[in-house]
Amino acid sequence: MNKAMILNPTRPVWPGFSSSKSLCGDANCMEQLLLHCANAIESNDATLAQQTIWVISNLASSDGDSTQRLASSLLRALISRAATRSPAFSFLSAAPVSQETLHRFSVIELASFVDLTPWHRFGFIAANAAILDAVKGYSSVHIVDLSLTHCMQIPTLIDSMATKLINKGQPPPLLKLTVVLAESPPPPLLGISYEELGLKLVSFATTRNIAMEFRIIYSSYSDGLSSLIEQLRLDPLVCNEALVVNCHMMLHYIPHETLSSSRSFFLKELRDLNPTIVTLIEEDADFTSSNFISRLRSLFNYMWIPYDTADTFLTCGSEQRQWYEADIGWRIDNVVAKEGAERVERLEPKSRWFERMREAEFTGVGFGEEVGREVKTMLEEHASGWGMKKDVDDNDDVERFVLTWKGHSVVFASAWVPISRVDGALSYIEA
Amino acid sequence: MAPVELENSSTVSGDASGVSSTGNLNPPPKKKRNLPGMPDPGAEVIALSPKTLMATNRFVCEICNKGFQRDQNLQLHRRGHNLPWKLRQRSAKDAVRKKVYVCPVSACVHHDPSRALGDLTGIKKHFCRKHGEKKYKCDKCSKKYAVHSDWKAHSKICGTKEYRCDCGTLFSRKDSFITHRAFCDVLAEESAKNQTNKLYPQPELKSPPAAAAPLTPPNVSAETEPVKIASPSVRSSSESPNPLEVIMEEAPRTIGFNVSSSVISDDDRSGNNNCTPRTIGFNVTSSGLSGDHTSNNNNNNGIYAGLFSSSTSSPSLYASSTPSTSLFAPPSSSMEPISLCLSTNPSLYVGPTTIQDPHPPPHFLTPLSLPPPQPAMSATALLQKAAQMGSTGSGGSLLRGLGIVSSTSSSMELSSHDLGLGLLPPCSSGGSGGSGLKELMMGNSCVFGPKQTTLDFLGLGRAVGNGSSNPVGGGLSALLTSIGGGGGMDVFGTAGEFPGKDIGRSL
Repeated sequence: MNKAMILNPTRPVWPGFSSSKSLCGDANCMEQLLLHCANAIESNDATLAQQTIWVISNLASSDGDSTQRLASSLLRALISRAATRSPAFSFLSAAPVSQETLHRFSVIELASFVDLTPWHRFGFIAANAAILDAVKGYSSVHIVDLSLTHCMQIPTLIDSMATKLINKGQPPPLLKLTVVLAESPPPPLLGISYEELGLKLVSFATTRNIAMEFRIIYSSYSDGLSSLIEQLRLDPLVCNEALVVNCHMMLHYIPHETLSSSRSFFLKELRDLNPTIVTLIEEDADFTSSNFISRLRSLFNYMWIPYDTADTFLTCGSEQRQWYEADIGWRIDNVVAKEGAERVERLEPKSRWFERMREAEFTGVGFGEEVGREVKTMLEEHASGWGMKKDVDDNDDVERFVLTWKGHSVVFASAWVPISRVDGALSYIEA
Repeated sequence: MAPVELENSSTVSGDASGVSSTGNLNPPPKKKRNLPGMPDPGAEVIALSPKTLMATNRFVCEICNKGFQRDQNLQLHRRGHNLPWKLRQRSAKDAVRKKVYVCPVSACVHHDPSRALGDLTGIKKHFCRKHGEKKYKCDKCSKKYAVHSDWKAHSKICGTKEYRCDCGTLFSRKDSFITHRAFCDVLAEESAKNQTNKLYPQPELKSPPAAAAPLTPPNVSAETEPVKIASPSVRSSSESPNPLEVIMEEAPRTIGFNVSSSVISDDDRSGNNNCTPRTIGFNVTSSGLSGDHTSNNNNNNGIYAGLFSSSTSSPSLYASSTPSTSLFAPPSSSMEPISLCLSTNPSLYVGPTTIQDPHPPPHFLTPLSLPPPQPAMSATALLQKAAQMGSTGSGGSLLRGLGIVSSTSSSMELSSHDLGLGLLPPCSSGGSGGSGLKELMMGNSCVFGPKQTTLDFLGLGRAVGNGSSNPVGGGLSALLTSIGGGGGMDVFGTAGEFPGKDIGRSL
């Protein structure tokens, strides 16, 4: 095993600042406590578990700094796990973190919510640019929007189509939007029906002179969206129609190998539909380990980011912040306390997604310089910790973008086209 | 479960000597640590002093006293004085090792190496912004900045671009404006009433683009709603009572399965509005989800007022002085459009989609919120206390005060504090682990012998069960060692390595 490097035990003491030994807002300390607690739970050591839970509960707080709030959420999830999974902890009762307690956003609330930080807008900008570029010249554009944010990406896409796809008096293409309605979608939860949502989008498109159709398909991520694929196969071929599949932070809900092979299978089926372009935007973290302690560690090293960014834009105690953090809490609970099919938050790192895409016979396309500029301009309007880095993947030399917070990777954006199978030679499918 | 071997325990004491304990300009000897979650586990962690971080021009010309941020720049300047100068080449060895920087403020999130920032400028700006004094003030609005470049960047955009929605909300960015407009009720009602589009100059909408003709000419026209719902009228006009609206009223305010919703398949598109609901994959039933369908809009004022009302308690750059202003909520038709008091105080621009301060105010001067409550006791003290409480054979009694123990458990009565220190009187078996606690408190490390560490560090060497023979000394004091003394004993392996194999059990 790697040599465990041990940090110098005495931190430098600067005049005017309190020694770190007197308090423990220290992230590392919190992490160690949580890991010990997790281990105690894992090994059914009720005593040690209780002791660590007690210690952590005195340090963590849902009103504290980002480390404390993260710890509070993780602790709750640990307790929930212990209470529901181990007979040794039957004395614990966990307040269930269920969807009923989560806020249901109205469309307007959701619209402003997605712009509180660049978390989603980053992906929207990159994906829309790639989509627009790919659908030039088509008279009909069919977008399958698999998005966590319930079509919040679409208005700006419609607007761009209206302004950029008009060519010498030619009207803009017909827009067909297909969305998937799953039985119990993850947060953020939408408070109106998809029909209503669709109506609003269609009227908006109308105001921008875009003819639009909206369709809802019921399908489930847990079975790899098989009903969606089935329906898409049944769609009659329309001449000069582009098929766009926009995957914004949803594909990770399709189970991966530890549960079933649906994830790769879905991508292969997708490839068989010959889409014009597939955009894949996901959070860059790894929650796939079958060992929950590893997952806890990954959580600790990623989920501090949403708590930290919340500090920059949401007042402590505000309702918005409660909603935001409740949603994060739900995800954390899912990763820590749930197993099997119930555990749906299966984020995997960028490199693995890219492997899957390549296996499914897709090849990456880069984003242009202009997109980079647009993203950077957008980032300037947000807190200064946000950044963007360009990332060239070794395997395909394609330059992609990654959203960063204080230097740490948050979300990656990528675009893909199918590799042609004709004559065994690899080439891109031309429009 | 395999006990964890710590092979490097001997290095703990090794680095202690070089630490400078005064706030001088010399950075302490560099510490090496593998950083979990960091992309570069081999990065060097550097902790600079506050003075260094605040200093802008550390390199000063001896002739004219002009200051420079980088030595290279100073050297180039010295040429002008005809002084000897030397530009250092970056050796290949130096260039390779990545450096990351931590914040010297111990309570700060970035004090921890795993939250280190990747570049020097970043850590300097962070330190200045969060822990420094705001000396620069915008003259157009009341925002203050600690970092000069932040202030400059803000002044450039302050008051420049504005997008205003009919509902009164202001946006500084076009995309957030567009997203809002797509869903803003005020707008929808306007355009429905007028049937012509006032917002955009509208060239005549040609009837169906020729290329799309193959399938569905009727649906392409702008007037009819292509979204198919099993109701006769699909026009959302505010004049006629709209069956669609009726459906919306009844619908549970959730994403659920509505009887009225249907899958729109291509078969149905031949202009037949009375399409049979056809589902794929699921049975459509009206789900009994929470159906509290009070109007969203009426609640919105209250929802976002929270963002503003705190202004009375703490001074905040984000506060509005008119508590009833609600930026995000479109008023329902019964309410007047809310407009921002643009003229009175530009600092009312609040929220993400309005012209906002792109840089967070440093917590310590203008708290956006009250400072986070500090724990009453340190981790070390808490661990000690927990150790003293010893074995709690009656399950859950230690945690009684926290409200996480099920009522069916038989446990001793405790004074119930809310998440407080529900302390048990020390129990019999509460040996406080003894050995080395005192040393821990004084900051010495290396109190553990390898044997104790490997066996009891995780408390794994003991029998499964309710801590019957709880060698509290073992489990918790080892934890104490790691927290109080070791300050981060990375038991679970290093970055990138999942400890699955160490811990042994997978799920």
